[in-house]
Amino acid sequence: MKSTLTMKALVVAAGFAAGAMSGLSAETVGPVTDPLGVVKIPKGAPIHIGGYWTLSGPDVNLGLDQKRGAEIAMDDAGNMVAGHPIKFYAEDSQCNAEGGQTAATKLASNQNIVVVVGPDCSSAGTPGGPILWKAGIPSVATSTTAPSLTAADRPEGLHGYMRTIYNDLAAGASDAEYFWNQMECRSLATIHDGSPYAEQLVRVAENRFKELGGSVTAAEAVAPTDVDMRPVLTRIATTGPCVVYFPIFVAAAAQIVRQFPEIKGLENTTPIGGSALMAPGFLEAAGDAAVDFVFTNPDTSPDAMGNRYPELVEKYKEKYGEAPIQAFHQNAYDGMAVALMGIEKVAVKDDDGNTYIGRQTLRDALFATSGFEGMGGPINCNEHGDCAGFKFAAYKFTNSDPETFEIGTNPVKIHP
Amino acid sequence: MRRLQAYCESVCVTAQAAPARQRLKSLKRLTFVDVVLWGLRALVIVVVVGGTIGTLIKGTYTTAQWVDFFMFGLTIGGVYALIALGYTMVYGILRLINFAHGDITMAGAFSAYFLASSLDRAGTLDAFPLLAMLAIMVLAMGVCAVIALIVERICYRPFRHVKTLAPLICAIGASFFLQHAFRGMYGSTIRSYPDPEWMKGTVDLLGFEIPLVQPIVIATALGSMLFLYLIVQKTRMGTAMRAVSEDRDAAALMGIDVNKVIIFTFILGGCMAGIGGVLYCFVYKQIYYFMGFFPGIKAFCAAVLGGIGNIPGAMVGGFFLGVVESVGPALFLDGIGITAPYQLRDLIAFTMLVMILIFRPQGILGERLAARRA
Repeated sequence: MKSTLTMKALVVAAGFAAGAMSGLSAETVGPVTDPLGVVKIPKGAPIHIGGYWTLSGPDVNLGLDQKRGAEIAMDDAGNMVAGHPIKFYAEDSQCNAEGGQTAATKLASNQNIVVVVGPDCSSAGTPGGPILWKAGIPSVATSTTAPSLTAADRPEGLHGYMRTIYNDLAAGASDAEYFWNQMECRSLATIHDGSPYAEQLVRVAENRFKELGGSVTAAEAVAPTDVDMRPVLTRIATTGPCVVYFPIFVAAAAQIVRQFPEIKGLENTTPIGGSALMAPGFLEAAGDAAVDFVFTNPDTSPDAMGNRYPELVEKYKEKYGEAPIQAFHQNAYDGMAVALMGIEKVAVKDDDGNTYIGRQTLRDALFATSGFEGMGGPINCNEHGDCAGFKFAAYKFTNSDPETFEIGTNPVKIHP
Repeated sequence: MRRLQAYCESVCVTAQAAPARQRLKSLKRLTFVDVVLWGLRALVIVVVVGGTIGTLIKGTYTTAQWVDFFMFGLTIGGVYALIALGYTMVYGILRLINFAHGDITMAGAFSAYFLASSLDRAGTLDAFPLLAMLAIMVLAMGVCAVIALIVERICYRPFRHVKTLAPLICAIGASFFLQHAFRGMYGSTIRSYPDPEWMKGTVDLLGFEIPLVQPIVIATALGSMLFLYLIVQKTRMGTAMRAVSEDRDAAALMGIDVNKVIIFTFILGGCMAGIGGVLYCFVYKQIYYFMGFFPGIKAFCAAVLGGIGNIPGAMVGGFFLGVVESVGPALFLDGIGITAPYQLRDLIAFTMLVMILIFRPQGILGERLAARRA
């Protein structure tokens, strides 16, 4: 009798365990079974897509430019995907961890969202990506370049995170080679602002510069909100570098550029910024000090872009009444295009016209993207989510009036 | 006789043993927190002294560079000090921390920017620099004073006799309101304050070449503070302010119009914030809606450092904080081999703040407040 009771208890326990396990195992909705769950889109209802970029603050151009790129990609698809209209939610990542966390949480709370395009800042993507992936939503980032985001040993939370922008492992090395080969510089000082993007980029550049035989005389850091850069620049001046490299964001970089000429000992040193400064907002913030200022950036000239890039620029001008205001709209276009292609590929329809999308299936389809001729060049994703290559260029501002900002003339490409 | 001798010996032994027992008792009373605090003090002293000696032995910096560091610190310290005066005066009168004060400074900077830009376009900024500066200052002071009065009327007056945290919460709310109101009105991009040619020059000071803007900012800050100090010490209204600060109820019983004094205090604080905002524009040139927040926090710390409620204390605290921020990382950290010492700038400044408050809780120039006032 006792053994029968024990057996019954075991069976009940096994039943509970199986029930609990079923919560963790694949979900089947309609004709689709997926380990992470299935989104059902009723006939005629929209497919929900999220996006988060910097839509306020001093780096607003960075995000606004990419939001526009993504919107043009949706226009080109007729604002339809898999036979459904697209409903797009754009959130503000503020280019920082708190903003990224808030935006991603808001998007993740909407379980109808199947994919998120963006963000633009690594500091937002680092906390944002895992929040979305925990909800089963893959991210197609559009200008987050920090190597850690797609590193082979990245945390589990970033396994749903891919990007249609280059990896700073390539950018940092190219920057260092430019200082060494073109500028014939042998001593480098760096400044980062504590963001994953800037810190990892300067580390890559420093390492490559040392491999080439150069010396890193100072590796400094400032806060994005710092205004008095004179002490840190004075300290750098004591080490006598020929280049001070600071791939940081608009506000702090503009203060450095303004205060640089005041520092004794830096008369023969060249300040060089990074791609976040390719914006009219930088001209506004730095004023006349921006003239002749050099920064490195991916090559955005039409011959370095995809074949269809000139069309994108025309559409951009037509839709928004101005030339591109930053340098990553093509990556955002590609991010949205890849997301839409992924949805088309995995969407399954039932007889009633409802559509089903498996979350893991969609993630795998996105990561398997290859052979796509994007606006920013070919898109071929690897297993870690790196999809785009890098073409180096150096640019120089020629005028401090923000109205004159136009990529190609102000700033003008000086290399290659 | 023998008993008397024995008694004497026992008393003498007891008298000798008493201090030792007291020391033992006080040692037994030492808590873990006391030990940690003493350890912290010792660590900071070791870092400061050891770092300073190490840096000076290394000789990385020239005398001119030390002078530069010091002047950078005095310049930003002057701005902190001016903003700190607003915090300290309001605290002195109302025992309220006016967290919106940094954002009132931002409002002054915005008004200075708009007028300076128009004057720059008209060529007046270069043609009549003194007149233009004066006009900009007056406008910024006026705007800040008006906003300070509005904030006082709407946010603080209803809570004047409330003993809860409501006024503090209201002050924080006012701060956010001002930030986002300016963001809504003028956008979130950074604007650039005009940079007239005459301000780009340098001057020779005791054989050291320094940017002209630095002595202008320091002198203007000192002059404004002296003016404020004279108002508080030498005028009837200043005497009334001090009386209200000592005991509001007693001052009212003596016939002082407390309401008028409080309004006057907010006007004075607003004027100082306006000057601080303009001087900030002269040196750092960037104007945006969030620009008042961090200088406001630093200025509040400067006010606490100097002794909150004490006007000379706020001035000393502001300059002290600015100089420690500027000189500290190079002087204390370079010598002990810390790389990128300027990323620890705020850590040094706030560690100094904590240390001074541990050693002297009332601040550098503050007096111990009676329990009833505190």
